Amino acid sequence: MPPQARYFDLTGKKAMVVGADNPAGGAIARAYAEAGADVALCALTADEAVMRARAVRRDIESLGRKATEYVMDVTLGKNVQVTTRQIAKEMGGLDIVACAPDLFLGKPIERTTDSELARVMQVNFASQYFVVRTAAEEFRRDHRPGRITLVTSVIGERSMIDTTAYAAAHGAVYSLVRAAAHELAGEGIRVNAISLGWMDYMDDRIDESENGKRAKRFPMLRRLGHADDIGGTAVWLASDFGADYIVGEIIAVDGGLLQHQ
Amino acid sequence: MQERFRLDGKVVLVTGGGRGLGRGMAHALAAAGAQVMLAARTQEQLDATVQEIRDAGGIASSFRADVTDSAQVDAMIDACIAEFGGLDVVFANAGIGGGTDAEFWDYPDWAFDEVVKINLNSAVYTCRAATKAMIERGTGGVLVVTSSVAAYRASRRWAYAVAKGGVLSLMKVLSGLLAPHNIRVNCITPGVVSQRDVRDEREQAEWDQRGSFFPVKRLGEWWEMGPLAVYLASDASAYVTGQDFLIDGGMVNAGIAPMSYRPHHEI
Repeated sequence: MPPQARYFDLTGKKAMVVGADNPAGGAIARAYAEAGADVALCALTADEAVMRARAVRRDIESLGRKATEYVMDVTLGKNVQVTTRQIAKEMGGLDIVACAPDLFLGKPIERTTDSELARVMQVNFASQYFVVRTAAEEFRRDHRPGRITLVTSVIGERSMIDTTAYAAAHGAVYSLVRAAAHELAGEGIRVNAISLGWMDYMDDRIDESENGKRAKRFPMLRRLGHADDIGGTAVWLASDFGADYIVGEIIAVDGGLLQHQ
Repeated sequence: MQERFRLDGKVVLVTGGGRGLGRGMAHALAAAGAQVMLAARTQEQLDATVQEIRDAGGIASSFRADVTDSAQVDAMIDACIAEFGGLDVVFANAGIGGGTDAEFWDYPDWAFDEVVKINLNSAVYTCRAATKAMIERGTGGVLVVTSSVAAYRASRRWAYAVAKGGVLSLMKVLSGLLAPHNIRVNCITPGVVSQRDVRDEREQAEWDQRGSFFPVKRLGEWWEMGPLAVYLASDASAYVTGQDFLIDGGMVNAGIAPMSYRPHHEI
């Protein structure tokens, strides 16, 4: 039995958060740092996303942890690999990786173009695939028992009209979690996911129309999630002892939304 | 962040807390700061676990109860409130196999009734009595414990699976019923997990052999429900309700083919 005080402790761990410029990624990065980790913050684009990641960095530095922001084009496997290598070198290894890209498309299937589908699949799914592949490579190199947490959406397992591309991309993430978890478990690498329901920053999919307002009342806890609600689950999944026997699980942080029938 | 996983000042009741997974959860909950009330039928096991927790600097007490008897369950909740001044989180964990090994068609009525009573009635009685107290306070948490046998396969232990399936449904029902009262309800579903530390090398070899069929290549250990219990009892999971937490080393996920099967097909 390991020391119980260390169940949720990330002291000394090196973490990389891809998509740290969005609310979910930012919240995970802050939570990792609060639990004791140094964090590399990857913004997905070189524009104002970097500024948002920089704000996360300032929060982390105020906790006395190290943080650095990077730009990672997650649509290119090679770029994910090169940037991750650079991060691992600069941090002195890598223990924890979280990936939280999110590009929502709400459009009828017959009007969704080839390029929109490709873009949605790339940003939501291929990015996660590249990150898992590269993270596993880094963990193997150092023989570290790495932790990988992907952030996905309940739309990956339940349906909503006009979300075919996005739903398919996140359905693919669900399957990726299970398959990669199985393939990598024997090497001590744990792959799991956090599936988000309706969060208070998701005005791209929960709007102010009558139905949008009704959707906000669907979570059983009768409130939208806050980015801050994600941190505890992320830290638990990333810890050495807290969740070592949790494999290929997709944890809904959704206020009970998935129980709605 | 760490303080979100703390349970200082919270009162947690664990049924079946004298041994096995209940003992593992009780240890972790106490280490996280909770005042733990353990309930079970066997006083010696309760005493031993309470002593272990106290020796580690934790706060624990026990109440001897047969949770298949609703009067004793009510007395157990009253005793918890009398001793600790309230009840914040309950773990309806008690439950064992019982019954017989008979096939479905030959199963005697008495055995089926016994299995359902031990596993399902006990959970209903415990949740009913505990949440009455929580509703008055306007907050609380409920954890039921089932088994991967319930959701995914049933062999000779079919009655146990049916009873545990009932417990899973109980969780779903209660999560809806109690959400308006700010009471979260979740379920822990262990796969194949040891009930205590390994005794000797021969037993270790036996466990290793069984564990080799799982993706993580080992069985779960008795204490590994502990951190999951702490997470689910704590504010770290404040927006998590109505969920079933499978902790099985990837067993169910890998269940559609032999563990090490690697198909090869080029196109």
